[in-house]
Parts: sequence; C-alpha cells; structure tokens
Amino acid sequence: MQKGWNRFIPYFLILPNVLLFTVFILVPLLWIFYLSLNDYTMLNAPKWVGLKNYSLLLNDSIFHQAVKNTALYWIGTVVPSMLLGLVLANLLSMRLKALAAFRALIYLPGVISSVAVAMTWLWMLDPLQGPVNSLLGLIGIDGRNWLQDPATSLPTVIVIGIWTGIGYAMIIFLAGIQSISESLYEAASLDGASVLKKFWYITVPLLKPMTLFLFVTSTIRSFQVFDLVFVLTGGGPANSSTTIVTQIVGASFQEYRMGYASAMAVFLLALTLFITLIQYAIGSRNQAGE
Amino acid sequence: MRLSKVEQGLAYAALLLFSLVTILPLLLAFFTSMKGDDEFSLQAIRLLPLEWHPGNYVRALEMGDWLTYLKNSVWVTSIALTGSLLFNSIAGFAFARIAFRGNLPIFLTLLAGMMVPAQVIIIPQFLIMKSIPLFGGNDWLGAGGSGWLDSYYALIVPELAGAFGVFMARQFYLQFPKALDEAAYIDGAGYLRLFLGIYVPLSGPLFATLGIFKFVGVWNDFFHPLIYTNSASMRTLQLGLQTFRGEHQVQYNLLMAASLLISVPIIAMFFIFQKQFIRSMVASSVKG
Repeated sequence: MQKGWNRFIPYFLILPNVLLFTVFILVPLLWIFYLSLNDYTMLNAPKWVGLKNYSLLLNDSIFHQAVKNTALYWIGTVVPSMLLGLVLANLLSMRLKALAAFRALIYLPGVISSVAVAMTWLWMLDPLQGPVNSLLGLIGIDGRNWLQDPATSLPTVIVIGIWTGIGYAMIIFLAGIQSISESLYEAASLDGASVLKKFWYITVPLLKPMTLFLFVTSTIRSFQVFDLVFVLTGGGPANSSTTIVTQIVGASFQEYRMGYASAMAVFLLALTLFITLIQYAIGSRNQAGE
Repeated sequence: MRLSKVEQGLAYAALLLFSLVTILPLLLAFFTSMKGDDEFSLQAIRLLPLEWHPGNYVRALEMGDWLTYLKNSVWVTSIALTGSLLFNSIAGFAFARIAFRGNLPIFLTLLAGMMVPAQVIIIPQFLIMKSIPLFGGNDWLGAGGSGWLDSYYALIVPELAGAFGVFMARQFYLQFPKALDEAAYIDGAGYLRLFLGIYVPLSGPLFATLGIFKFVGVWNDFFHPLIYTNSASMRTLQLGLQTFRGEHQVQYNLLMAASLLISVPIIAMFFIFQKQFIRSMVASSVKG
C-alpha cells in the first residue's frame, strides 16, 4: 500500500463506475420496490397503497396471459436454439475446410439488430406478397396472416426467436468442443467408437458447464423478450403475443401507471433471481462433485 | 475428429442446408430491396427481381431523415464506446492490481448489478433521467423540466459504466506478472503512469473484446432510445427504421433497403473482425 494521498487514487479510479452503478442500478433497484407499493402517475406525488398493486397483478388476466406467453416463448426458443446450436457446433468441429464461412453465415442473424430482423420477417410473412405464403401456396397450403392471427402470432414470434438464437448457442458450444482434448476422441476411435457414441459419451458430458451457462443466460434473456414482439405484433392481436416486458412498458410509458408497472418489474426481477440462484446451486454442486 | 469421406460429405450437406436456412431471409430481403415498385402487384413468386433497382437505396435514404439518425447513432455509439473502455479498464486495473480497503466487496457488489435486467429498472431510470437537476429546463431540485430525457445524455451516460466490462478488465489484468508493477514503482511511477504507460499499450485484446461488445450493444439498442427519446431529431437508426416502417410499410422494397442499410456497419464489422467477434461472445460465457 502506498502512503499519503496516493492511498485515495484507487478510489478515484473506480469512482466513475461506482457512481454510475449507484445512480443507474442500485438506486433504481431500491426505488422499484418502493414504487410498487405506491400509486404514481407522474402528475401527483406517489400515494402509498401497500400491496394493492400486487393483488391487482394476481387478478389481471392480461398479465397472466403475458406470463404464460413469456413462459411459452422461453420453452419454445431456448431448448430448440440450444439443440440446433449443439448439432451445428459439432458439425463445425469436424475439421471441415470452410469452417469460418459456415460459422459466419450461421451467426450472422445474431449480430443484426432485432428491429432489422423483425423488418425482414415482416416481409417474409406478409400475407399477400411475402415469400412464406407464396411458397406454401406452391405446395397447396393456404397461408394465413401469421402475425395478425391470434392463433399463430406467438408461435410465429417464437420461430423467429429461435432463428436469432441459434448462432450464439453454436458459437459457445463450438468454443467448448474445441477446448476438449483431441486425445479423448482418438482413444475412443481406437476402441472403435462411432461418431454418435463419441458425441454422446465424450462431448455431451464435457459440455455440461457450458450447457448450464447457455441455458441460464438464454432463459434470462427470453424472460426479457420485447423488441421482436413490439415490432412484429405489438403484443397483439388481442394480447395473444404480449409478454411481461411488453406489459411493463405499456403500463408505465403508455398508461402512466408507474406503481403497477413496478410491481410487474419486481415480479420479473424475482423470476430472474430465482433462475440465477438455481444456476449457483447446480454450479456449486457440480464443482463439489468433481 | 477424423472422419470418413461419407461422414464428411454428410456434414457438409447438413451445414450447407442450415446456413441456407439462416441466411435465406436476409438474402430474400436483399433481392426484395432491389425490386421495382410495380413488381409487388404481380403477385408472382419470384426470388430475383425482374429488373434490378439499386436506386431503391437512394430513394429509401431520401424518404427519411437518415442523416440525423446516423449522426445520432454514430455519436452515441462512439462516445459510449470510448468512455466505457476508459472507465472499465481503469477500474478493472484498480481492482486487479491495487490492494485497497474494500476492493473485493465493492467489486462483488458491482458484479451483482450485472444480474439486474435493464427492463426491470427502466421505470426508475426514466424517472431519474427526468429529474437530473439543471438540465432540460429543470430547477436545482430536478423538477419542472425533462432533465436528460430526449437528449444524448440519457443514451450515453448509463452506457459509460458496466459491470461486465469491469469484470473482463479485472480478469485480463490479473494475468499480468506482479514484477511488472514492482519495477514501475521502483522507478517512481504512480498508478496512473503505470496504467497509461504499461497496461494500456498491452490492452489491445481486451479493448477489442469489450469494444465489440459495446458497439453491438449500443448500435443495436432499441429499448432505451424508445423509452428515453421522443423527438424526431433524437432518433437513432433503430428507432428511425421503426418510424420509416410506420410511414412506408407497404413499400417493402424500400423497407428492406433501409433495414439492410442500417445493418451494414455491423455486418461489415462482423466480417472484418470475425475472430474478435467470436472471442467477444465466448468471453461473455467465461463467468459461467
């Protein structure tokens, strides 16, 4: 440790981060709990209402719909993206020549903004002119207005969500596979193991930590889905594709029910923390077992 | 893994099929962006345009205030990028290389903040932005005006910090040998000179990883500009695209042209810095 005023220098070095963390994360975090216990329209001072917002939440059928849709989006996107990503990562790890090109092409949808992605799919799915319905027409299937039909709006958003998520899962899995020692596979080959056996008995178990990480981050990200939904369907029609964050934004910045929206945000936070805690529990159990 | 010829062929075929599926929507968007206006009324299924109209891109540009949107995006992204690299690396340096009271607890607290989703705290963040004193017509108590809302401050300042960046910088600097610091201290160099003179020049890989992360995050951000801004002059490219769609929805050729145009910088970056991109994405998983 240094003497004199030098002792304070490290605090100056971390000051910008600590300050911004305090103002834009810590204070909002505490404030969200306070707001959730108040009625606040931004016109008057917050009015204390206790747990009223939470009991409203319990009886809000649209919010229930949003939670259900978010859960469906989670189930519908996370596992398929990861499975496809895993398969592709394995194909890519087979020492093929054009590895970099394939990797880039498959990952490309992941770097483009969600708004641009949404625009592309709005065209693909246009009921009259879009390629999807045209192609379906070729094989004799009557297409429909996928995004504006309550029966198909959410599933369609889910398919697009999968499309954008495959690349990331693939990249993470590929990095994991590349860190597995080649000698394991060679030894297995000597014993006459097939490609599938090697995949199942070597790759899959050794990818466990990455799988856990991917599952948790993709899960948390899927809980926050907003951009795609907002641009593609706006949560409609008739709330058929609305999600938790769509509801938060609607309640706060369109209806100015800040307190009520804050209660929804607290719910989302609790959900996120719950998943994170499970990750820690599984992660530390794995480490203890090794 | 060594493969037989048949297995290799199958792997290629599967990869080709998959890349085609992932890339097809973008390819179709490109073809569509080149089609003439009258082609859409034909209702015929054609992949390629009957006639190529590269002029669509110029028309799309003329139809919106893209120069303003581009200026906003470039401005916000570049300041957020530069500032966050500086603040994150210098804090990471302090946490990694200097023993000071509270080092670990403060670091862990920052790290915990990484788990808070942006969408959870957007409401109080909005209220804080609105109440910044002496800005946007506010008095010194932060009342009366709009504070930082609808200004660059709201889009830039929160992006200047970031637990992920500090975490990455700390990990990076922890690998440096202790002898490096000691030699510098014997020479009488202070922390700042040590950081700027020795650590920064060695930080290329760190800056690349963090820089790409920030660039993608801020350039593609739709959520924060949507909430924080409302005047047309403050729109970023992502918001501009959404506005454009509202005004010219049926003109798909122009909408696709605009969508591709705003993606060009990020696609170009991706192809030029592919290795760093991949490393940046993988780096985000090491904490797992």
